[in-house]
Amino acid sequence: MSTGDGMGLFLNILVDGAAYGMILFMIAVGLSVTMGLMRVVNLAHGGFALIGGTLAHWAGQDLGLAFPLALAVAMLGTLAIALPLERLVYRRIYGFGELQQVLATIGLTFLIIAAVNLWQGSALLPVPLPESFARPVDLGFRTLPLHRLVVIGSGLAVIAGLWLLLDRSRFGIRLRAAVDNRGTASALGIDTDRIYMVAFGLGALLAALGGILGAELLPIDAYYPLRYMVLFLIVVAVGGLGSIAGSFAAALGLGMIETAARYLAPDLATIAFFAIVILVLALRPQGLMGKVSA
Amino acid sequence: MTRISCAAIAAALTALCGQMAGADTIKVGVIAPFSGPFATYGTQYRNAIEVYVAQHGNKAGEHEIEFVYKDSGGPNPDQVRSIAQELLIRDRVDYLAGFTFTPNALAVAPLIDQSETPTVIFNAATSSINKESKFFLRTSYTMWQVSEPLAQWAFDQGIKTVATTVSDYGPGIDAETAFRAAFEERGGKVVDAIRMPLSTTDFTPFLQRVRDEKPDAVFTFLPGGPPTFTYTKTYNENGLAQEGIRFLGTAETEEVNLQGLGEAAVGLTTAYHYSGAHDSETNRAFTAKLAEMFPGAVANWSSVGAYDGVDLIYHMVETSGSDGPAAIEAALGREWESPRGPLKLDPETRTVAQNVYIREVERDPASGQLVNREKGVIANVGDLGWTR
Amino acid sequence: MKSWLTPFLVLALAGAAFLLFPYNLAFLTRILIMILLVLSLDLVLGFAGIATLGQAAMYGTGAYAAGLFAVHASGNPLAGLLVGAFAGAALALVSGLLLMRTRGLTLIMLTIAVASLCLEAANQLRGLTGGADGLRGIRMQPVLGLFPFDFAGQTGYWYALSVTVLVFAGLAVLTRSAFGLSLRGIHESPARMAAIGVSVYWRQVAAYTIGGGIAGIAGALAAQITQLVSLESYSFTISAEALIMLILGGAGRLYGAVIGTVIFMVVHHVAAANDPFNWLFVIGALVLFVVFLVPNGLVSLPLAVTRLWKGARHARA
Repeated sequence: MSTGDGMGLFLNILVDGAAYGMILFMIAVGLSVTMGLMRVVNLAHGGFALIGGTLAHWAGQDLGLAFPLALAVAMLGTLAIALPLERLVYRRIYGFGELQQVLATIGLTFLIIAAVNLWQGSALLPVPLPESFARPVDLGFRTLPLHRLVVIGSGLAVIAGLWLLLDRSRFGIRLRAAVDNRGTASALGIDTDRIYMVAFGLGALLAALGGILGAELLPIDAYYPLRYMVLFLIVVAVGGLGSIAGSFAAALGLGMIETAARYLAPDLATIAFFAIVILVLALRPQGLMGKVSA
Repeated sequence: MTRISCAAIAAALTALCGQMAGADTIKVGVIAPFSGPFATYGTQYRNAIEVYVAQHGNKAGEHEIEFVYKDSGGPNPDQVRSIAQELLIRDRVDYLAGFTFTPNALAVAPLIDQSETPTVIFNAATSSINKESKFFLRTSYTMWQVSEPLAQWAFDQGIKTVATTVSDYGPGIDAETAFRAAFEERGGKVVDAIRMPLSTTDFTPFLQRVRDEKPDAVFTFLPGGPPTFTYTKTYNENGLAQEGIRFLGTAETEEVNLQGLGEAAVGLTTAYHYSGAHDSETNRAFTAKLAEMFPGAVANWSSVGAYDGVDLIYHMVETSGSDGPAAIEAALGREWESPRGPLKLDPETRTVAQNVYIREVERDPASGQLVNREKGVIANVGDLGWTR
Repeated sequence: MKSWLTPFLVLALAGAAFLLFPYNLAFLTRILIMILLVLSLDLVLGFAGIATLGQAAMYGTGAYAAGLFAVHASGNPLAGLLVGAFAGAALALVSGLLLMRTRGLTLIMLTIAVASLCLEAANQLRGLTGGADGLRGIRMQPVLGLFPFDFAGQTGYWYALSVTVLVFAGLAVLTRSAFGLSLRGIHESPARMAAIGVSVYWRQVAAYTIGGGIAGIAGALAAQITQLVSLESYSFTISAEALIMLILGGAGRLYGAVIGTVIFMVVHHVAAANDPFNWLFVIGALVLFVVFLVPNGLVSLPLAVTRLWKGARHARA
């Protein structure tokens, strides 16, 4: 089927847009947890994705581990770095103003970049994926690499899991209580320090997972956190703070729009993308599904 | 400021410099990215320079040569101009070198014109830079120099239709224009010319569109690093190779990130002036020394850009010392053997005329590494973009 | 401290810098230009409380406007500055009408989006702007017809210093005026200011426009001194670094903008000269140091130290 005919073009945009949108969702969902739910302006989100990606590169390429094992090493390693950082840095800045949080997390990002740069250099750090991930899968009207289907599957699993965890479990209720009013939550016997630590660890884990699965499109290198910082922030802002579903909708929507622009008018794709971001945020300042708050 | 007073200052500085440093130390200021996402360039330059010095000693004729390295970060003309001023005034360098990005080179043009400082460009590939000052010399290449031979070769191979996909910025547009002009002059047809936004992370839409158009080949130009990685993966995963749509590129398979591209890179065809696997005595000596001094380092085009640039500077220093205009005279028309093959500094364009090789990525049976294997050569190509 | 003492000291330092670092004038000039940009951000963010990561939009627009003016109309530097200021202010006014309706993260993202749009527009209009190669052909006449730009950058330094001093003085007056006080009031409590009949929206638009004009002047100066404008003038890096410098120094105080910029740029210069590959370690550590130990910015450091010292003396007495 050719892009020349309308139906084929439409299907192409739909499929590629969904696949790209899912990758956007996977790389931004961790930020949606730390910044959206926990209300920390966490510019170091990309830093944790970078840690995950670098560890996966190291485990897969330098140690020669199989992908599932490398993935596990990378995620546990990221957690092992993120939790002490939560105690040392983040715990102190939860109560700070937004600008101080911006400064602190950007300082942390610089340190992470410098550390990865020192360890692995500034060239690309490819994450070895199973051979089968590159295999094209026949969708009937065209093919799609298996990798994209894996990402779509993971994205759906993550959003289902987060929904269960945050909307249907006691942890979710406690987290919301702790974020809304820390003092009261503590008085009610909720261990807010621990809740925050678990939530932050979850955000870091998701950042690492997103960094690794998204690395086919957003390859890992030392400057990853700065290169894609704006992209992560846009997904969360358009989706609306505090709403995982909003991030999901925003990622898919932005993915579709950008893909359509790339098919139809490549020259104008960047302008169209930012124009739409401006339009959405002008019309809905709280984002697509953000809670209205001061 | 008027030309006269500038020249006066420059002359005064040169005289002062001669008194202060003695006639036997000549300083070369190297401006390149040593920090940030492009730091690889700076590292490659520096390694190559140190290899050259290890091979040839630190004396050119009777003069000792000293290198002063300065960090430019990325494309940042404001910073580069102020660094160049500092190098010229405080460090009193007699030569400038480096320059990865076009705006950075352009920013020093008025300065080197005033101070009459020979400036050797190791990388920046826009033809027109050399028109801004007669003190610019270039040991890298220009976009036209490699894109046009590729188009001619492709046509001769029986490729009649091509879609071009280039990154939507200066160098990409240059590459598109050069390829298209040469390909259509021969009688080929460019069926689609796609300009991809620089911020593109997912190339599937462009490659899917190309796939549906079924041309004989797709010509591409991408900035190095992440975009090249993603593009080549997408090219393979969307089955363009299986459909028989050939990949034609230039710098995409450069050696530093080549191993990172993995199996997806095998079979990619590029036209370029240097392959790390070039089969010659000079290249083997260069790469062996590089590997010996810097374990894990690989030679790529920025390495030879710097290596040959330093060779040119040694030649200028030996013949002319710190006399800028005389050094330029001595450099023009010079012919020598480089790790990439024979070179001649073209007197008109002040860019090296060189062989352009048609290469294909293969896995080297001996080392197990991916290499750019030379399959053909278009000899002695000058800067074809100069008169365009 | 007497009110004339601090400005006198700062000016004396600027003069001393000229004498002490005659070979680094180009670098000192870059610091001055950056101080102008950070001052514009201080007005917008420090005083009016408008969170932005897109000040480069106005900086770049000022640079391109002044550059194009020099190439196509006149090489008069002061006229070029006015053109840059006007272009920056015009963009800030037009975009501000929309931006000032939003808050917080949304506002930050919108300012980033505006700067990104400008960057892409400049890239697409490469016939006019030179695209990624940069806008070339800028040749400047002598300042006031008397002082030609020289090789060592002496004229450039005094020119940039004069402009910075004038802008600083203007801002000092502005921030002490009724308008400036109302901005502070808005920053602290928009609701209260609205309640006493102040139009929060229009005051913020006005502050953003003035800030845009100053950022435009900074861009214009950069264009005139470098004689080249590149797409990087619109980059996110410039906006982000300006923000870091401001918070480092201390937002909401004009001297904070000056101190933060000087410290950041000098640390960068020294660290990058010694070990460019690892300089991010230094800047990252500096940033964290300030956040945790001097949360009000480095401008408050002397005060904090004085207090500590006085406290110690009192304790002993």
